[in-house]
Amino acid sequence: MSEAVMQHGAIAPPTGGRLMRRLNLGTAVAGGLVGGYLFWLVAHHFLQTDEPNTSDQVVTLTLLGWAIGFLVGIGAFHGPWSWLMGHDQSHEDETFLAGKEQGIGRYFRFTTDHKVVGIQYLVITMFLLAVGGTLAMMIRTNLIRPDSGFLSPQTYNAVVGLHGLTMIIATIIMVTGPFGNFIVPIMIGARDMAFPRLNALSLWLLVAFVPVLFSAAFLGGIPTGWSGYAPLSDQAPPGMDAYLMAIIIFAVSSAIAGANITTTILSMRARGMTWNRTPIFVWGTMASVGLAIPAFPMFMASMVLLGVDRTVEGQFYVASGGGSPWLYANLFWLMGHPEVYVIVLPAVAAIMELTPVFARKPIFNYNAAVLAIVGIVGLSIMVWAHHMYASGWAPDLNGSFMLTTELISIPTGVLFLVLIGTIWRGRIWTTLPMMATYAVLWNFIIGGVTGIYLSDVPADYDLHGSLFVTAHFHYTLMGAGLTGAIGALAYWFPKMTGRTLNARAGFTSFWLVQIGFNVTFLGMFAAGLAGQPRRVVHYDSVFGAANLVSSVGAYVIGLGMLVLLYAVVSSWRHGATAPANPWGAKTLEWTVPNPIPLANFEVLPVVIADPYGYGEGDGPLFVPLPPSREDDEAETPDGGGRAGKHAVLAGPDAPRIVKEEES
Amino acid sequence: MHLRRTVVGLAITFGAAAVVLGITAFGLSSKGPNNDRLDATVVGTAQTAQGPVKHATLKLATYPDSMAGEHGTSGGAHPDWVSYGPSTNLHVPAHSLVTVTIDQYDGGEKITNPWFAKVRGTVDGTMTVDGKTQTGTDPDAVGHTFTVHAAPGNQDPLFVSVPLPAVADDAPVATDTGYPTSPHVVVFSFVTGGPGEYVWNCEFPCGDGYYAKFGGPMATQGYMSGTLTVS
Amino acid sequence: MSADLIRDEELPFGNPLGQRVRRWTRRREVRGVLMLWVVLTVLLVLFSFVPARIMGVPASPTKQAVEDTMTVFTLAASPVAALVWAVAIYSVIGWRQRGPGPPTEDGPAIRNHGLTTVLWVGLSSVLCLFLLIWGIAETQAVASSSTGPLVVNVTGQQWVWTFSYPRQGDIETDQLYLPVNQPVVFHVKSDDVVHSFWVVQMGIKVDANPGQVTQATVTPTRLGTFDVRCAELCGLLHADMETSVHVVSAQDFQSWLRSNGTGG
Repeated sequence: MSEAVMQHGAIAPPTGGRLMRRLNLGTAVAGGLVGGYLFWLVAHHFLQTDEPNTSDQVVTLTLLGWAIGFLVGIGAFHGPWSWLMGHDQSHEDETFLAGKEQGIGRYFRFTTDHKVVGIQYLVITMFLLAVGGTLAMMIRTNLIRPDSGFLSPQTYNAVVGLHGLTMIIATIIMVTGPFGNFIVPIMIGARDMAFPRLNALSLWLLVAFVPVLFSAAFLGGIPTGWSGYAPLSDQAPPGMDAYLMAIIIFAVSSAIAGANITTTILSMRARGMTWNRTPIFVWGTMASVGLAIPAFPMFMASMVLLGVDRTVEGQFYVASGGGSPWLYANLFWLMGHPEVYVIVLPAVAAIMELTPVFARKPIFNYNAAVLAIVGIVGLSIMVWAHHMYASGWAPDLNGSFMLTTELISIPTGVLFLVLIGTIWRGRIWTTLPMMATYAVLWNFIIGGVTGIYLSDVPADYDLHGSLFVTAHFHYTLMGAGLTGAIGALAYWFPKMTGRTLNARAGFTSFWLVQIGFNVTFLGMFAAGLAGQPRRVVHYDSVFGAANLVSSVGAYVIGLGMLVLLYAVVSSWRHGATAPANPWGAKTLEWTVPNPIPLANFEVLPVVIADPYGYGEGDGPLFVPLPPSREDDEAETPDGGGRAGKHAVLAGPDAPRIVKEEES
Repeated sequence: MHLRRTVVGLAITFGAAAVVLGITAFGLSSKGPNNDRLDATVVGTAQTAQGPVKHATLKLATYPDSMAGEHGTSGGAHPDWVSYGPSTNLHVPAHSLVTVTIDQYDGGEKITNPWFAKVRGTVDGTMTVDGKTQTGTDPDAVGHTFTVHAAPGNQDPLFVSVPLPAVADDAPVATDTGYPTSPHVVVFSFVTGGPGEYVWNCEFPCGDGYYAKFGGPMATQGYMSGTLTVS
Repeated sequence: MSADLIRDEELPFGNPLGQRVRRWTRRREVRGVLMLWVVLTVLLVLFSFVPARIMGVPASPTKQAVEDTMTVFTLAASPVAALVWAVAIYSVIGWRQRGPGPPTEDGPAIRNHGLTTVLWVGLSSVLCLFLLIWGIAETQAVASSSTGPLVVNVTGQQWVWTFSYPRQGDIETDQLYLPVNQPVVFHVKSDDVVHSFWVVQMGIKVDANPGQVTQATVTPTRLGTFDVRCAELCGLLHADMETSVHVVSAQDFQSWLRSNGTGG
């Protein structure tokens, strides 16, 4: 049908795809440069150069041109355009888009296969973490002595701001991007996501976003830190325009991805996968993107208003013009607080997903885990002004926000209960993913408890804006978030790459990173308690010892992350081939062979039990039935969960899988 | 064979990281555009309330553009930004009486925060403007200020703030430089303590087009902001 | 270590619930975890006094209250953290599978334990309630009346703090002087961007906003020189936006006011 089988058995290259065959990352960059240049020409020609905001207008429009040109160049509009022109993308086109039989080239094109998109997200995450980490090394090098003079104040502020935003974006996407895309559809027994083309679009928007963010460094930097507080952001050099455009692009990307993941989980779970049988990681992913969908548009709105302020002298954040800095602060933190749960929930859910596998026990109190996740999502929308206790915005509301913030400790505590209940009396297999669980248990307690200190209003009056806050959020976002993501990577690495991750390098990296991390940020707590503000390029010499300790710890982290990079790259390229289910796990993704077929499952499974049946005998989790007559449709990527053929649960004579085959 | 692969792989990883870090460090490690330092000239000793100390002098000027400062005659990246000159990277001796002369060539207007229209932290709390001793200047016609303030650290506190009166809008202008022919000459003295690193900046925002007028030259070292090193 | 002491026969004393508890505590893993839990709790309790020490000697009752909060909250968190960590540590000692491969058999299929869940959620709710009540009580305690006799206007401007005393003839200064044991109200504003007025050793902080006046109150109770820092990134020289507050006797304060009479 779609490919001709030649006489000696080889498969001819796929047809279909039309223009999309020629579009890739290279044409995208070219398109972006052309688009940016065109918009720059127009802006330059028509805008009055003596107006004070001209450079802001020019920069904003140029970057907009870049984004649009980039998307044109990658072929993002090819699908809608074809439809508008009356000849929709054909089945061959869509097969081509799914990356069928294209080798490594499909990672550089607008490929819709969720597994390809997942790998692309993983690579981008690693890149962002590397850049953000390098910037962190710059910061800690500068702070190794009270007044090192290593970075000028302007450069330091820009480095701090770019480190912050790079890491925030990296941690937002680091679990839902690679694993939400690659693993979740297989885990729920689907062939792809609900909107495969939107999946590719959300990824390529992220690729377009990266140069926009880093162009800020060449446009004067940003003086505000990643939180972009107005009205300092109104005053900032044109680097701030790059910053706000980057956020706008990212917000679109994440809204699309969020809609895609949510729809997929809601409507494409395999038959028989009731909510009670849905793996906890799926719950965590859905909760995270469910929070992201209302939250990031707030960020985008705050940036659009900033753009209006900067380009046409809107007065949204300018008190003398009738606006208020508190408008920005509220919009930002309405995003900013849910956003940290967007970061942490998938990482902790991944930990909750892998711990039963390595403790060989069912997850403890699954219902409580789900309720805790839901509770955190609900409460996290009601706590944002604890970031604004000292701002003077609404001192009478401080008590209410203290209440809601302290309430979040209850569902968060339940997550700990679930983890230690799962570990209790298990048969512990100390693999690298399981070590991540232990590290999260250590780091998240410290991060959570120090958050409780900050939720206390009088204590926050003293600690706000000091390094205590910085250490607290690194313990939660990095100690729990990034560590959980590394655990997820170690866990799903064999499935995503077909290779075994080098265990010795992995463990070396783990200990270096975790020990370095605790040294760095415990030292930072001390500096904050002693009175050092955050985001300062130099400091009083009384903080010297704490900063020295912190900087040394940071170098150890850097070393550990380099070892991890080496481990990931070298294992990916020539690690030992991994069996289909090296961990003996029970979720659906481990039942598909390596390499994973394009359509994931030969026959879609029907689920009859949840994936946590450890110690309950070898009963089957699902029933894959023999291929039916219409099975030549089973390999289509657009078949989806419902339209693809799957057989119905037959009677007692139906074939059953009793045990996993491990090659 | 595996060992060799491991070693080579690690070497490439660390090597690449070192290159990236090195390039970034090199690119970022500049202290800003004010790399040419200006040292105060020691002219002898002077009597102060604390006894005889070294006496050093420093000559600065404020210009309505950046053609005469440290950015070269072309004015650097922002030729239309107001700037101090000849340098913003000032060095003065410790435990000395420092006499600063500033030629103020720029215009001005009403200062935003009248606190800074008064002289603070100088010897006797006074300055001389064109020869006349004053303790402040008319807040409706301020050009810039020269405000030295504390940077944290184990160093002696130092706070000096001197307003620089504005040149009238209708003053005669030299045809070659475009600057007024008679700037206001402001002279003041202060006593330094022990060695330390301080900063100074102008506290009369004039960055047109930026919020609160504190962007642009106000927020960039080398124009309206710089460092004062006491050594 | 002796083997599990689970026995089915009734112990010859105590009520049935007590017997079940005693039987449970004789289990190897329970004893192990309990021991670890006690050791960790003790260590964490000792550690609880460290944050206040790092914060230094308080210069006001407000800061004292903050330091007490840090100590009490750490004490309250100690048994919780210790429990989680005790289970985690015990698990790699007592439940670990030896050998490289996957475990040869599964663990017990414990899906839930109602009592544990109820106790856990109940105790964490009680703890949460305690933290809340503590916080509200503390907030009330440190809030002095805003009609204290001494008022200081604080202006943050990029990148300098300036002060004036409106009720003492508008005396202006860059170095804050305060009399000891007298409540003071700071009226804080900014001329440009958002700064944050932080008197470190007195434990008070409030943002300086353009176009708004915010307020903080404190009673300095120690003589000495303390730090005023800006706690909100405000641009190029944020790190240099620092000055000092000198707390002096009432007499010395009056003489300082006189010598600064004209604000020059």
